[in-house]
Amino acid sequence: MDGGIGLPVTRRDAPGKVSGDAQYAADFPHAGCAYAALTTSSIARGRIVRIDTAQAERAAGVQMVLTHRSLNEGLGEETFAMKGGHMQSSFLPLTSDEVHYAGQIVSLVIADTQEQAEAASRLIAIDYDAQPASASMDDGDRVEKPLESKSIDVGNANAALAISPVTIDATYVTPAQHHNPIELYATSAEWREGRLLVHVPSQWVMGTRMGLATIFGIPAEDVHVECPYVGGGFGGKATILPHTVLIAMAARRLGRAVKLVVPREAMFTVGSFRPATRSRVRLAAERDGTITAVSHEQAGQSATIDHVSFAVTEVTARMYASPNIRVRESTVATDVNTPGFQRAPAEAPGFFGFECAVDELAVALGMDPVALRTKNEPARDPVGNLAWSSRKLTECFARGAELFGWSRRTPEPGSMVAEDGALIGYGCATACYPSASGPSAARIRYSADGVCIVSLSAHDLGTGAYTVMGQIAAEVLGVPNHLVRVQLGDSTLPSGIIAGGSVTTSSSGSAVHVTALAVRDALLRAAGGGELVDGFVVSPDGSRRPATEVLAECTSGFIEETGVWKPDSISDKQMQNGLAGGMAFSSALGKYATYSFGAQFAEVRVDPLLRTVRVHRMVGVFDCGRIINPRTARSNLAGGMIWGASFALLEETQIDRKRARFANTDLAGYHFSTNADIGEVVVEMLDGSDTLANPIGTKGVGEIGIVGMPAAIANAVYHATGVRVRKTPIQVEDLLV
Amino acid sequence: MQPFTYVRPDTLEQALHEAAEPGASVLAGGTTMVDLMRGDLAAPRRVVDIGHLPGLSEIDLSGPVLRFGALARMADAAEDAALKRDYPALAESLQLAASQQLRNAATLGGNLLQRTRCPYFRNGVSACNKRVPGSGCSALDGEDREMALFGISDACVANYPGDWGTALAAFDTAVEIRSAAASRTVPLANFHVAYGDDPARETVLEQGEIVTAITVRATPAGRGSTYAKVRDRQSYAYALVSAAVALEMDGDTVASARVSLGGVASKPWRSAEAEAVLTGATLTEAAGLRAGEAAFAGARPGRHNAFKVELGRRVVARAALTASRRA
Repeated sequence: MDGGIGLPVTRRDAPGKVSGDAQYAADFPHAGCAYAALTTSSIARGRIVRIDTAQAERAAGVQMVLTHRSLNEGLGEETFAMKGGHMQSSFLPLTSDEVHYAGQIVSLVIADTQEQAEAASRLIAIDYDAQPASASMDDGDRVEKPLESKSIDVGNANAALAISPVTIDATYVTPAQHHNPIELYATSAEWREGRLLVHVPSQWVMGTRMGLATIFGIPAEDVHVECPYVGGGFGGKATILPHTVLIAMAARRLGRAVKLVVPREAMFTVGSFRPATRSRVRLAAERDGTITAVSHEQAGQSATIDHVSFAVTEVTARMYASPNIRVRESTVATDVNTPGFQRAPAEAPGFFGFECAVDELAVALGMDPVALRTKNEPARDPVGNLAWSSRKLTECFARGAELFGWSRRTPEPGSMVAEDGALIGYGCATACYPSASGPSAARIRYSADGVCIVSLSAHDLGTGAYTVMGQIAAEVLGVPNHLVRVQLGDSTLPSGIIAGGSVTTSSSGSAVHVTALAVRDALLRAAGGGELVDGFVVSPDGSRRPATEVLAECTSGFIEETGVWKPDSISDKQMQNGLAGGMAFSSALGKYATYSFGAQFAEVRVDPLLRTVRVHRMVGVFDCGRIINPRTARSNLAGGMIWGASFALLEETQIDRKRARFANTDLAGYHFSTNADIGEVVVEMLDGSDTLANPIGTKGVGEIGIVGMPAAIANAVYHATGVRVRKTPIQVEDLLV
Repeated sequence: MQPFTYVRPDTLEQALHEAAEPGASVLAGGTTMVDLMRGDLAAPRRVVDIGHLPGLSEIDLSGPVLRFGALARMADAAEDAALKRDYPALAESLQLAASQQLRNAATLGGNLLQRTRCPYFRNGVSACNKRVPGSGCSALDGEDREMALFGISDACVANYPGDWGTALAAFDTAVEIRSAAASRTVPLANFHVAYGDDPARETVLEQGEIVTAITVRATPAGRGSTYAKVRDRQSYAYALVSAAVALEMDGDTVASARVSLGGVASKPWRSAEAEAVLTGATLTEAAGLRAGEAAFAGARPGRHNAFKVELGRRVVARAALTASRRA
């Protein structure tokens, strides 16, 4: 069998993407479509005191100009995703004269052509009453708000810190960052006899459907969200962006399809972003390296209009065996668009500081950083004393060290020099990501022509879902790969799960698995019993006939089943809500503590004179449970590691504090890695199925790849130079000492 | 982008007449012009496409004066074997610029006319004297990590972003310019204008004038040259600091030196100060660093770009050492 679990099946979506046949949201044609252009606020906070649209309304081809004076609609009962709704923000632009952040949408012009819409939008004159604003959590007037419910105390960390012989106390910061997918945000909306059709890049078509149905007061079945491909999501396309609602409103008023493609500059403010963080980490240890206290206090940037918290400390608290653990979370509200999910939202920034501190502790102890981590490996969850569903972090470090050649490392900073004089640095870090899951449905039709169609409204963001969903079905049914078809990204299909939190394979994959079992059972019933082996029904008497022969005898010529799977901890009611498009996740902390783990290594080369840093190579070894497809999993993990290198050395949305606005709002100013920045990337996945997690034994793959890389690289930079940089990105000026 | 009329003349003479019309702009490779138009930073009423015109794209390195047709593509010069051998600084400046796709399209003449990447100029919203004269300079009290240290004023601190222009500034370079009525040749040093009160004006080019060629007086120092560029990432980024250095050596001693700086000035910046320190010096890393120190002695750093002084000192030293090994 060539298409089952564990095989490196090539991506089903690749030919369409390479040939250009794949249609992304903005590619779908709509007959008689009108085009929209945005205007955004030039101030960061205040009020619109005058908005003159007369000239724009008279301009050639203009069909409609929407402002806060003409919209007169709102979100209804719908709200912010983190308050239980589906929206990126609880604030819908054009619903008030208030300006809450720079780059807020203040008008929408709709015209017969894109050029007419853009030309007319320049004719809108706006006067503001500007108020002082702060977009940076470091601004003096900002107030840190403690989140007491997120505190964890085990033992007495402060007391242990006071008496332990070796301690570390350091503060680390990470900046705001933006997703910057190459596929721009885009929405087209069309109403047909009271039904709404929306094309939008989405990581959550069912949630988008439910949210739009609520806003427009129509049954969910009357909203159709179609998005077969996503050109980079990274969390930015997980929720409904406000402009999607505005475009649907405009389309309804005009009685005509309307399309908006958001320009790159506006991408920074019409959606979400990764908020800045500040972590104070204190660690204490005995001289032999036994950790006696772990303390992590994180403050995260939030928005004045919405409270957002990505609490990493509930994860970092569980990394090392320590009798004393103390973590705190807080947020700092700023005048910015609502921050949101971005790949490993809590873990990527939070592990930077935490895992740098562990490296600092190793230096203070004179101990090898891998040995320190291994020595303090906890047998059970050190906070709740739960058993791990699986935790092979020590094996990850052992194998990673071997692959990397860690034993060649000499501990003294600057002690390793390449032939060309470059300073060599080796660094490592732990990665971890909670492995959650949620309810999902799937439909499988197995036909007499041998074709097996797997359908569900899950999403492939380039992650491999088209491929792995088919493999899970093929594994049960023994269908050859070329006869497997997979349909995703369409809200008319059985409910898949949001592509967020690394849950797709565990959740929707489990649904495909149980559905495939149902198809198999129906097939065997039709055959009068027996077993299904490699696509053949084997009768109890040992005779074999192709499954397709049995299918041909079925009246319809196929067997079709729709199945549903949910994690045990999710109630039936939660499941129904989840399948309808609500948020329904199991916790990583149930009967067991269920996390993906990784050990990540980096070698950097630092120019001794110019002090520029290059990532020479990266190694990551991961414990992500069973790997359905080593090719797509490797690609996903390597992509995360490459992003981690970007995080460490390049990515920052600069905030102009005086103007309270993002400064580098294009791809010339917002840097991420090019091919030339990335050396060798080695990824290995440990064998092992975690069937305590779910029936197919998988844990999350999508996000863990980025988590440990920023710290591994920062630790390598320290090893090369002796300079401890406690912020990202690490730039040349940080090392010019 | 705003509506415009597109014309595609058959001859340079026709193009010069078209370009003289008020509101006309010239389009060559398009990599800068289209970008500016899409960002509403340029709104020509008439776009005169000269990219196809014959006779303007030759590269001739044979005579006492090197001649680069204005429509030669960046990639053509970057990959020219003779240029790489005899003037590595010029070839490297192109090779380290932009991306292969852009180098395939962009022209050598247009490259000189690149406009700054200052975010306040580009974003179309913030106060910017270059975009809206008299509106103020947001970079002065804003994000200025990438801004210039030389040739700036209280009206503008934006950087000249080009690598090619910077490398050319180390040599005796001139720009040949045609208009319908006349032709003239301007030394590169006078082609770009340092910022005074009117930062909107970046070159001496007048309406209706087209750059037709760039000339460089041949010099043996070309072989002993290099272009060193430090940027945040390894490809596809503008210089934080760059330096072109061309040397003639007499044993370990520098007989003559040419030094220009990029990423730090409002225009391609020749550093006579660094040249003076290098000339006659025994070339060591310490001497290179002294030259770099001299180069940046007159720098006027802002709030976040003072590191460019220290980085620039080192870039000059690295470039001088590399150049001396070739000389």
